Amino acid sequence: MLPLSIKDDEYKPAKFNLLLKLSGWFRSILADKTSRNLFFFLCLNLSFAFVELSYGIWSNSLGLISDSFHMFFDCTALLAGLAASVISRWRSNDSFSYGYVRAEVLAGFVNGLFLIFTAFFIFSEGVERALEPPDVHHDRLLPVSVAGLIVNLIGIFVFQHGGHGHSHGEGGHGHSHSLFNGSLNHGHSHGGHDHQDKHSHGGHGHSHGGHGHSHGGHGHSHGGHEEPHCHDEFTPGKGSSKQILQGVLLHIIADTLGSVGVIISALLMQKYDLMIADPICSMLIALLIGVSVVPLLKESIGILMQRTPPSLDHALPECYQRVQQLQGVYNLQEPHFWTLCTDVYIGTLKLLVAPDADTRWILSQTHHIFTQAGVRQLYVQIEAAAM
Amino acid sequence: MEDKYSSNVLSGGKLGMVEVPNSRLTRYIVLLVVTKVLKALGIFESYDILKVVHIVQFIFILKLGSAVILLFFQKPFSSGKVISKRQWIKLLKHAVFSCVISLLGFFGLTLCGPLRTLLLFEHSDVVVIALLGVLFTSSGGGPSKTRGAALFIIAVICLLLFDNDDLMAKMAEHPEGHHDSALTHFLYTAIAFLGVADHKGGVVMLVVSLCLKVGFHTASRKLSVEIGGAKRLYALDNLVSAMVLLPWVIVLSATTESKVDSWSSLILPFGMIIFSVMILEFYVDAICSAKMETPRCARYGAIALFLSALLLANFWTHPLTDQLRSMSKPPQQVSTEHVLSGGVIVSAVFFIMSSSILSSPSKKGQQGTLVGYSPEGTPLYNFMGDALQHTSQSLPRFIKDSLKQILEEYDSRQIFYFLCLNLAFTFVELFYGVWTNSLGLISDGFHMLFDCSALVLGLFAALMTRWKATRIFSYGYGRVEILSGFINGLFLMVIAFFVFMESVTRLLDPPNINTDMLTPVSVGGLLVNLVGICAFSHAHSHGGKSCSSHDHGHSHHGHSHSEHSHGGHGGHGGHGHSHGGHGHGHGHGGHGHSHGSSGGGMNANMRGVYLHVLADTLGSVGVIISTILIRQFGWLIADPICSLFIATLIFLSVIPLLKDACEVLLLRTPPENEKELNSALEKIEKIEGVLSYRDPHFWRHSANMIAGTIHLQIMSDVVEQRIIQQVTAILKDAGVNNLSVQVEKEAYFQHMSGLSTGFQEVLAMTQQMETMKYLKDGTCIM
Repeated sequence: MLPLSIKDDEYKPAKFNLLLKLSGWFRSILADKTSRNLFFFLCLNLSFAFVELSYGIWSNSLGLISDSFHMFFDCTALLAGLAASVISRWRSNDSFSYGYVRAEVLAGFVNGLFLIFTAFFIFSEGVERALEPPDVHHDRLLPVSVAGLIVNLIGIFVFQHGGHGHSHGEGGHGHSHSLFNGSLNHGHSHGGHDHQDKHSHGGHGHSHGGHGHSHGGHGHSHGGHEEPHCHDEFTPGKGSSKQILQGVLLHIIADTLGSVGVIISALLMQKYDLMIADPICSMLIALLIGVSVVPLLKESIGILMQRTPPSLDHALPECYQRVQQLQGVYNLQEPHFWTLCTDVYIGTLKLLVAPDADTRWILSQTHHIFTQAGVRQLYVQIEAAAM
Repeated sequence: MEDKYSSNVLSGGKLGMVEVPNSRLTRYIVLLVVTKVLKALGIFESYDILKVVHIVQFIFILKLGSAVILLFFQKPFSSGKVISKRQWIKLLKHAVFSCVISLLGFFGLTLCGPLRTLLLFEHSDVVVIALLGVLFTSSGGGPSKTRGAALFIIAVICLLLFDNDDLMAKMAEHPEGHHDSALTHFLYTAIAFLGVADHKGGVVMLVVSLCLKVGFHTASRKLSVEIGGAKRLYALDNLVSAMVLLPWVIVLSATTESKVDSWSSLILPFGMIIFSVMILEFYVDAICSAKMETPRCARYGAIALFLSALLLANFWTHPLTDQLRSMSKPPQQVSTEHVLSGGVIVSAVFFIMSSSILSSPSKKGQQGTLVGYSPEGTPLYNFMGDALQHTSQSLPRFIKDSLKQILEEYDSRQIFYFLCLNLAFTFVELFYGVWTNSLGLISDGFHMLFDCSALVLGLFAALMTRWKATRIFSYGYGRVEILSGFINGLFLMVIAFFVFMESVTRLLDPPNINTDMLTPVSVGGLLVNLVGICAFSHAHSHGGKSCSSHDHGHSHHGHSHSEHSHGGHGGHGGHGHSHGGHGHGHGHGGHGHSHGSSGGGMNANMRGVYLHVLADTLGSVGVIISTILIRQFGWLIADPICSLFIATLIFLSVIPLLKDACEVLLLRTPPENEKELNSALEKIEKIEGVLSYRDPHFWRHSANMIAGTIHLQIMSDVVEQRIIQQVTAILKDAGVNNLSVQVEKEAYFQHMSGLSTGFQEVLAMTQQMETMKYLKDGTCIM
């Protein structure tokens, strides 16, 4: 008997070539502008963290060490975004019949959760410190935070630029970088740059600056449309992208305010000894992060729970009506519509038709109606009513 | 002036009210807010004055001053009908009562300070009547009123118990210093007689006098009609009370020497107090209640008053304001100021909430639905039909309903019981911590509360899973369960990561841990968590198959231990936080694995909760062991090493859960049904008349629902319905219980191939559609 193709699959792990695989990943990362930017930024972040860590070990500064660990934590989010952007481009196979496109939604969700988590921690820390302000050693705070802001700005610039380049470069198949992935890339592009050095007195102070996560939808708004409209961010091309742009705006504000807030509080502490400025600033930052993440979380949870796409909410009842008005259609049952990934909607429904109806015509008309509404993949089960 | 305030109040009006066109009312609302702020200012000022002026003298001056002004404005003698002798007697009684009440109020002010007085004493009658109605009559006016009353009571209790006011405590130590007069002494003994701690006496007294005030206002309504208007009554009342107080004041000033240096410097503040507290407020209240409904007026007033009181309390003792006031006010020692405390702020918030709840919905509005407004502007309600069923859900009933739901099912019941246990433990810990003033215990309690959030999440998910499918969530809410498991797993991962970091940091620099308090707390935590483990693993052995995993779980306990959670504080060793009881040592890789293999035996939600509880248990055990090790042998290094070990274990144990959840969320074909599905597909191909199938998608929606879609191409001469039924039956055997089959006949397939295609083409088409949208032409697809 000849070996079946599935046997080959089983043998693959045995022939696992790390180098080959790595280079494959590497190539796929570099193939795409978004993931390439993400990758470079991750490298930058990681090297920053490593420099900090080694310097911390060398100078035996506990603050620097734990700060660098925080940065590693930030990097994991960046890594998640990178992984998602690679994974979402994998081809679909037997097990994952829809492909891996949902990875970006999932990654957006995970990132949102992490951000909320971080915001919560920062907030509780801020409250603790507001009640009992510790004396922060702010000697090195200002330079570190200014450096953070600079890295931050670099990140914003790179990604903004990257987004544009992408929109110019690729035409028809820029689909894989959508809202979620985009937002997390960008989101984390700023993670962990402003690390104030509050750790210097033995781990009491966590650095709260670096989690401004901004600038999500660039990738998205450029990804989907290849037409001249594409890099005009305010084209009302889709209902959702406007929403996303709002989120982007919030993110950018939160991020910038985060960095600026740290610098201001550092200045206040240095010049006027206003120790209360620090916890207040960090609480504000935490609130901003929390608020800006909520829409992202809401949307991604909606998608993961197979919610009916909000953008179809109004279009669908109209479609149902039109379908029911088709000749021979008695009833419409079990309509399910859900989002696969950004802007790809899938629907299933059952039609109860008269026994003598022209099913072909009904089928094509139904498809037609829903395609106009934006549902690209539709499964219509036609059942003849018993006479 | 007008411009200055109009903007802020316009927005306030937009926020608060929708039922009445607001444009005309903004003016009154501005007026009300300004008045209330002034009143708060006046009360703060009078607190300062009361430090130097005797209370009776103070009230006398207030009454006299306002009487003079009111006589001037109101002219009670020259206008209106003549007052009979009987009415004069009534007026006298009225005045005596009002004197007593203001005496009580201002005495409370000296005891409690201005902020607390404002919070307690300055509620409008509507609020208090609603409150008393809820408390003492059976038909209180619906659930929202009950809520408001509960909030009110909580606020008072907050003031009583959680308000650490240093000055009050100080006064309790030297009560003699305050006994300026027989009256004060009498009140003091009365308070002591009530059995209340004396420094809280002011609070109780203010509440009592608040009730008295309201009763008094209600009773005086009749008199005001007799006399001819509330304003006239007020003017006369002030005059008479001033006369009543006059002999007392004379006696007082004859017997005691005054503390006041110069009365002339007090003229300005007195004038301001008289104006803001006595006169302006009275008039503005009257105008506003005439122009808007009383409840609304009360709500705005209360909110403005409390907020301004909070702000003033914050800034009154500020050095800057001291400088500002220094010219008008004799200097005094700073130490006797009432300070803001957490309890006061909490209770202020509660007071604001309760007064807005108690005053906001009129009783009518709750029983019927508002249909519109009559031409005169009074709201009309519809009491018919389903409006009666549509009352807002009462909180107790809501709790009862959800409790019933929780207890209905095994999973949620387990989680709920354990959550209760955990919360009870946490609160005991918190209270004990507050009582003994141990910072370690308190922060440990808060950490445990955070842990409880995982349980709450699980419970909520277990409840939500059972919600019915809606139009929006057409597949139902079953996925919440998976999401919750996923989130729990993620949190565990994050925690593991932090433990890892912390322990690496500590490996480099082992801190000195204060182990005194660790043991009892962590033993308690261990017991609680052990109960949880038993409950949940019991559930598992029911759902899945083996009890061996249970034993397996315990076998790991021996070598795990963690201390990570107090790392942040341990570093500077000052107070030695011990967060033992709940340590997130999350260990025990094998267990997660055994779950992973058992597949759908336990849902993701329960697995997440179980892992969490397990990890907590390990943390407790770890803390106990590390405590013993450190005490006996002084091995400080053992602690970070074990934390490291545990962090790795958690990581490993959570991975299967995360992987499963990810697969479900990524719409993978359910692995446990994969084989059956493949054979089912083969069978489908062999059905007579089926040419081929296309785009088979099967995915697990929730624990007990697998959805699927498939396209079939069939020959043009077979009956579609038969084939659909066959395919449905075959796939149902394979576990798919939500299926839709699209049947395409040959010709149709040709026709449709351009329209509905595979995913890649769909994406290309997505973009095509974009361009078509711009052409305003959706029909050119073919």
